[in-house]
Amino acid sequence: MNSWHDLVAASLIGTERSVVPAVGIPGLPPAEDDPGDPAAVLLDRAALLTAARRAGRRPDRAEPLPVCAPDPRPTVSPAAARRLRRLISGEHPDLLTEWLAAAVARGLRLPPQLLPALMDRVLRGRPADPGLPRLLAEAGGPRARWLAGLNPDWEHAAEEPSTDDRTWRLGDTRQRRGYLASLLNRDPDAGRALITGGWDAAGAADRVMFLSVLADALGPADEPLLEAALDDGAADVRRWAAYLLARLPGSALGQRMAERALRYVRVEQTVQGPRLSIGTPRRPDAELQRDGITAHPEPIRAPVESRNHVLLEVLARTPLSTWTDGLGLTPAEVVALPSGGWAPVMFAGWSRAAIAQGNRDWISALLGRALNGRPGTAAEIEALRQLARRADPALGAPGATPVSAGDPDAPPPIRDTVRVLRFRHDMLKELHNG
Amino acid sequence: MAERWDRARVLALAPDASSLRAAQLLASGRSWPLTGAADDSALWGECLGSTVTPYRTVVDLSGPAYRCSCPSRKFPCKHALALMLLWSDGTVGTNGGPPDWAASWLAARSAKASDPKEPKAPADPAAALRRAEQRETRVASGLTEVDRWLCDQVRQGLAASQRYGYRHWDDIAARMIDAQAPGLAERLRALAAVPYSGPGWDGRLLEEYALLWLLAAAGREQAGLPPPLRDTVRSRVGFTIRQADVLARATPVRDHWHVLARRDLDQDRIRTRRVWLRGRRTGRTALVLSFAATGQSLDDSLTVSTQIDADLAFYPAAVPLRALLATRHDIGPAGPPSGTTIGGLLAGYAAALAEDPWLDTWPSVLEATPARAPVPCLYDAAGEALPLHPGAGDCWPLFALSGGRPLTVAGEWTPRGLWPLTAWDEGGMVVPL
Repeated sequence: MNSWHDLVAASLIGTERSVVPAVGIPGLPPAEDDPGDPAAVLLDRAALLTAARRAGRRPDRAEPLPVCAPDPRPTVSPAAARRLRRLISGEHPDLLTEWLAAAVARGLRLPPQLLPALMDRVLRGRPADPGLPRLLAEAGGPRARWLAGLNPDWEHAAEEPSTDDRTWRLGDTRQRRGYLASLLNRDPDAGRALITGGWDAAGAADRVMFLSVLADALGPADEPLLEAALDDGAADVRRWAAYLLARLPGSALGQRMAERALRYVRVEQTVQGPRLSIGTPRRPDAELQRDGITAHPEPIRAPVESRNHVLLEVLARTPLSTWTDGLGLTPAEVVALPSGGWAPVMFAGWSRAAIAQGNRDWISALLGRALNGRPGTAAEIEALRQLARRADPALGAPGATPVSAGDPDAPPPIRDTVRVLRFRHDMLKELHNG
Repeated sequence: MAERWDRARVLALAPDASSLRAAQLLASGRSWPLTGAADDSALWGECLGSTVTPYRTVVDLSGPAYRCSCPSRKFPCKHALALMLLWSDGTVGTNGGPPDWAASWLAARSAKASDPKEPKAPADPAAALRRAEQRETRVASGLTEVDRWLCDQVRQGLAASQRYGYRHWDDIAARMIDAQAPGLAERLRALAAVPYSGPGWDGRLLEEYALLWLLAAAGREQAGLPPPLRDTVRSRVGFTIRQADVLARATPVRDHWHVLARRDLDQDRIRTRRVWLRGRRTGRTALVLSFAATGQSLDDSLTVSTQIDADLAFYPAAVPLRALLATRHDIGPAGPPSGTTIGGLLAGYAAALAEDPWLDTWPSVLEATPARAPVPCLYDAAGEALPLHPGAGDCWPLFALSGGRPLTVAGEWTPRGLWPLTAWDEGGMVVPL
């Protein structure tokens, strides 16, 4: 309809300087010359054409999108979908990974309409959790891949790692990390061979990458490499090696730590029963430093007085069986032993050990102890925070803890802990009920 | 005794996004040394804030109504929201009665509820008539003024519009407020954004000027119009009808009304919620509006994908859409509505325009598939397509839900495109967009 464009052109210039074009509307007689005010004539004709154009609008044509491959998995329940929405919006951000892993394990499909926000969230969250894209690719299934094909921004949000060995030689760090993680998962020996074969030629950043990927596939076979890495030239590599060795059951580093721990901490029999007696540890010597314990507390950790620092770091790397087997006590009995003013340090150190060694019995024992007490130091509160995120979710069942999240007498850290336990319990239950 | 609300219902009360975020942060035991609930009908709590004394928050869940000692003017404030979130999580104990400061407010509320307000004394009818006549005169001169202003615009040319600031339209809008024609004022004020609305702005501005021109002409000639069209013209100029008069004049339409879609708009310190309904028996579409000042919650009683058995009273108009919920009888869940084709939508809109040429928001339900090219759009089984409204954004959730397959989509058709509001997938799952 050219007459509309003619009218628009005339209105832009203004009727002072242009002629009002005649308009034709199919089905109506052509407009006659109107002797009135040209501005009024233009507005009259524009009104008529506006209504005619809106009412006479013709449909357009579209280029259809490819149809997404079907996903046979059943969709998560509405309650689980609502919780996923809460996680995406930023509540308990550190529990998103656990939610996705549980959905994958249960063979459930995500609500497709949440995938865009989830992929944005994963991209924004980078590089905090390098395993998240692989998890999202698995959880999101064909629909996530289909969406990534429409929006290049999401190409890396839900990415399945490449299994092409050219990726290892030619890819960037992110792609190589994905390749290595996936190989370690499929064929641990081949993955290890790749690390040991490439170790000497790799730069410090790559060696850190190797170790951080190895963290998810750690086994006794890794000890020689890690022990050698304790003498690496790069501080980050040494730190990672010490951290991984402390997590490795039966490692020589664990034994060295156990000997140190038993030098500082002894059980004393008193008339009131057994109690822990603590000898003040020395400043870190060269051997301690080789095993990853440096003189100054790292600023990212919860601050502890410096004399406590060494004890805490040693406890955090000591195999927990040192206490249970060595003393012939259960975890609950060990954590109940009085230790006077050292109790917060013991609690924080054991908590870190329980988390690093993935020991749920100890996590439960420590949480049970804390929930009956009044944790006060920053290290205790931080430990509690971490424990709650790794505990057996059954601890969040109603009535499973000695306090409830709404208990007005409980100190805030306790109530927050119970809230996290409760959230995890509910979220996993929703996923298990399909 | 009320059932405990789920989280979504509490969050829906938040007056704005920042309150929502603040409340979620506050909804932690750390901030609340004292909380309590009575029979799930009232909540109270003390919240630690930046001041020495804690804020005292009380919620009457039957309203809901809120009272908080904090200085916030938002309603409900973040403390009331956080308290309700804690309660929704099941972390507010029900042992013990309210403390005195909560009990006194709750008691005052229940006393007020059982003591209905006295009806207002009738106003002086002669004075009311005089005021109405004065208003007609003022509006008539306003219409003349708009005519003159529109002619000036077209005479001088619209090319300069991109150089004008908001003042250009605000000034004439303010004169229409003085002329007691708030409908015209609102249309004029909205025009300030058109020159910055992207390619084609000039055509859209001329369309709006032309429709205003037509409205002013119709307003002057209203005596000669058929009554329903006259009602439409008067309401678009800005004459409002009191709810009581709508209820008294209209014959209520009882039906099972399917709640299709909901859209919230923020404008000039006022939040408007549009809820679109469709009657199962009559097939009629209805629009229920609710308003709230910024910082206050909108009416949350109509939930998408439910069906409400109710009497609706329609406002008189050439194309009656706006309605009041006169009586609610029952409410229940509803499945996906049946949709039409693109051709059906366009034919329906054309027929409606024949009655009301100013109608630019037309509710519709389509059976269609989203596509991204040449522009984001929806196409139907016949291959006919209509664009999505550029202002609706990426619409990624709509695409994610579809996966390239057809959906049922409820939305608002406008001359610029369809604004999608609700979608149902092939399995009947509903997703508000």
